[in-house]
Amino acid sequence: MITFTFEGLPLEVQPGISIAAALITHGERITRLTRFNSNPRGLFCGIGACFDCLIEVDGQPNQRSCITTVKEGMVVKVQRGS
Amino acid sequence: MEVRYQVIVLGGGPAGLNAAKYAANSGCEVGLIDAGTRLGGQYWRHTGHEEFDQTVHHNFDQGSLLMDAVLANPRITIHSDTTIWSVSIINDEIVLRTKDGAFITQRLIIATGAYDRTLPFPGWDIPGVMTPGAAQSLLKGQGVLAGKRVVVAGTGPFLLPVASGLSNHGASLVGLLEASGKYSWAKNSLELLRNPAKAVEGLGYLLELRRGKVALRFRQAVVAAHAGADGTLESVTIANIDSAWQIRSTYKLSCDVVAVGWGFTADTAIASSLGLTLEVDEEGAVTVVVDDDQCATQSNSATQIYAAGELTGIGGSDLALVEGAIAGLAVADSTSDLKALKKRRNKLQRFAKALTKVYPVLPGWKSWLSEETTICRCEEISYSDIDAAKEEFDAHDARSIKLLTRCGMGLCQGRICGRAIADLMNSTPQERINATTRPILSPITLGEVAQEGLL
Repeated sequence: MITFTFEGLPLEVQPGISIAAALITHGERITRLTRFNSNPRGLFCGIGACFDCLIEVDGQPNQRSCITTVKEGMVVKVQRGS
Repeated sequence: MEVRYQVIVLGGGPAGLNAAKYAANSGCEVGLIDAGTRLGGQYWRHTGHEEFDQTVHHNFDQGSLLMDAVLANPRITIHSDTTIWSVSIINDEIVLRTKDGAFITQRLIIATGAYDRTLPFPGWDIPGVMTPGAAQSLLKGQGVLAGKRVVVAGTGPFLLPVASGLSNHGASLVGLLEASGKYSWAKNSLELLRNPAKAVEGLGYLLELRRGKVALRFRQAVVAAHAGADGTLESVTIANIDSAWQIRSTYKLSCDVVAVGWGFTADTAIASSLGLTLEVDEEGAVTVVVDDDQCATQSNSATQIYAAGELTGIGGSDLALVEGAIAGLAVADSTSDLKALKKRRNKLQRFAKALTKVYPVLPGWKSWLSEETTICRCEEISYSDIDAAKEEFDAHDARSIKLLTRCGMGLCQGRICGRAIADLMNSTPQERINATTRPILSPITLGEVAQEGLL
């Protein structure tokens, strides 16, 4: 198992899975809040086409959580705005 | 960096893998470029844990053997995790740009596949609403269940393996809804009966689902999704619909995931950006036109571009494999006898056409929209925003609506909402074709472009 943090909380997951999958195993489904209306969004197409599951990884926004593999020590945050 | 190959294949799914294999076995040096981390494409998406992968695939052995053959072939160089952001023809050569540099060839096989076709409906942007492909990719590629109480809905044969996979791996499947009628099959049975293997596969899923006490309900559709206090999916409204997809009555189901899909849309972005001839079918689907050898039509005579698999028409993995094989042989100028392959392809194509008729998407879905329904997810454009632009500026075509409201101009570049907007605006076939080009195929920062020395 590996550990990463999401919104400051440590989460333990299987290595080798995507950030979206890692979050879903912990019941977390909101990856971002939209830039105009702050509406919650999460995984939608699951294959990197829709850009709805964007998330902030180690300070970098706009990472697609469905195709980015989770790594030990990653700091993952809900993406707010653009 | 610049890398040249005699033949480049785009896409590591069934069509691309077989194309690479056949071209390499006919003597070509092949570069296989794939956006995925592991070969297999969407169809053979896998975790790499053989025992688990066997449990979530209908026929994983076939894929496993093909992937092993491609990996072991000394004439094939594989570039995984490689996304193309621009394509062009420069000095009689096809130039494909990625963040790792340019790939150059004169002979290209495009096998970029397809993604789920989606339709907007009230609440479809709530976390927990996803495509069947998303639920499937979580299970097949990550070994993770999308949710605990799941509804699978929409239309098409793909709903069955998705539902059966989720149910077999422990999700409580609270609804499986097919918008088409129960007897839709009967009207097109002749061509369908010519392909008994597919009928057997379908029956297999139905029996599995029955064992899990899941009933397939016809003429029902998810017409709204509702969020709970935490902003994620809590329930869906399901409608009994008539033969024109108008709502007759509704009921609610609580669930934490709903997977809704309406067949597939071919990924023609690279093909279109290279200027290949495209066509539009009666359902508004845009596909690449190919000849008997899977060769596409384009203006540059020094280059050869082939297309195989879903982007030449949605037809499933068996058809994709055969088309890939034909393209692989043709690109290598192989003299091997293609007659049997072509006969099999033509038969599978007739089956695919018949299947499309069983699962049509009817315009009645437009009546499910409310004024507040989000149409463009990226730019947060609602149905009333589009209506207002129509009214205020007398805009009557999808392109004007796009320029006025920004719908279809977000990060997905209209891949998700584009076809629905074309349907809502009654776009002409030519307008639908024009909307498929993507000068920038995937987002790239100016810094990354500068690093490549292009600025």
